[in-house]
Amino acid sequence: MGDLLYNLTEWLRTTPLVELSLWISDTSLSMWIVTHFWAIPIIQCFHILALAASFGAVLMINLRIFNLAGTDRTLAETERRYVKWIWWALLVMLLSGIGLIIGEPTRELINPVFWIKMVLVIGAVFVSLAFHGKVMRRLAAGGTVTAGIKAAAIFIIILWCVIILCGRWIAYAPV
Amino acid sequence: MYPEPTNIWERIEYSRIGTFVAESTWAFPTIETLHVISFVVVLGTIFVVDLRMLGLTSNKFAVTAAAKDTLPWTWGAFVMAAITGSLLFVSKATSYVINPYFLWKLAMMALAGLNMMYFHLITWRTVEHWDRDASMPVAVKVAAALSIIFWLAVVFFGRAIGFTLGIFY
Repeated sequence: MGDLLYNLTEWLRTTPLVELSLWISDTSLSMWIVTHFWAIPIIQCFHILALAASFGAVLMINLRIFNLAGTDRTLAETERRYVKWIWWALLVMLLSGIGLIIGEPTRELINPVFWIKMVLVIGAVFVSLAFHGKVMRRLAAGGTVTAGIKAAAIFIIILWCVIILCGRWIAYAPV
Repeated sequence: MYPEPTNIWERIEYSRIGTFVAESTWAFPTIETLHVISFVVVLGTIFVVDLRMLGLTSNKFAVTAAAKDTLPWTWGAFVMAAITGSLLFVSKATSYVINPYFLWKLAMMALAGLNMMYFHLITWRTVEHWDRDASMPVAVKVAAALSIIFWLAVVFFGRAIGFTLGIFY
């Protein structure tokens, strides 16, 4: 794993991402973030709060699928109650994430863990689009909870945990 | 190779578990990851109840239902956050105890805890009168607002620790 990450970093260093990072770090916005000590921690707070909102929402919907929470309401009501939080929080995470990239472009863009995280995030967005589009609509219409749907619910939770893992490890990747 | 501890915090930091977490390449970030996962569950589930108590969401449904749905998860995740947090603490105990942001974080958690205790011991006694109301009594709204404020402060101070550890002597 260490070798893979190392080679990925070496490769990232040969891409135009280096130029891009340098260009970003010269922008006035990047300068502003760098020269304000509390900017990065505060942007990270927004990132974490949005994560709490979206992970919490995913958890509540998926617990309902397993009848472990929200049994006083229907699956459709649970979905309607929480699904907006997933997408709005994702938007906040996207914007705060962009803020963090602008503040520390090299730390993010020339970082193998960052790119692994981005691939997983895109994967999670597509899986969630399918899950909350097709699957939840079918369940809301009275469909039965199959073993496959339960497996998908667990898979989405694990996927988020791995994304959180990558998020934390960005800070420790050998860049 | 560690000097003789001169106070309790050094004794904790130089302990087998403290030095393991501090010296291992993977332990600290991995425990931090578990801390983040458990903490966002704590936060997410608490806010579900707080928003209901403010009368902003799920107003058709009982407050007791929201509490019943989330509390086991809040507490389970809180225990995990406390364990992982303690492990992070012991690895750098001497730096944490003199870090004002760490102390503020503990203070905010204590306030959040007191707010919760007051709410569950006093305000909660009359829950059957407002359980299904869309608009909550003032005491309930205040408890929810304070809970949100204290936990937001915990997030901020928690993040601030990571940027200031080692700059205080």
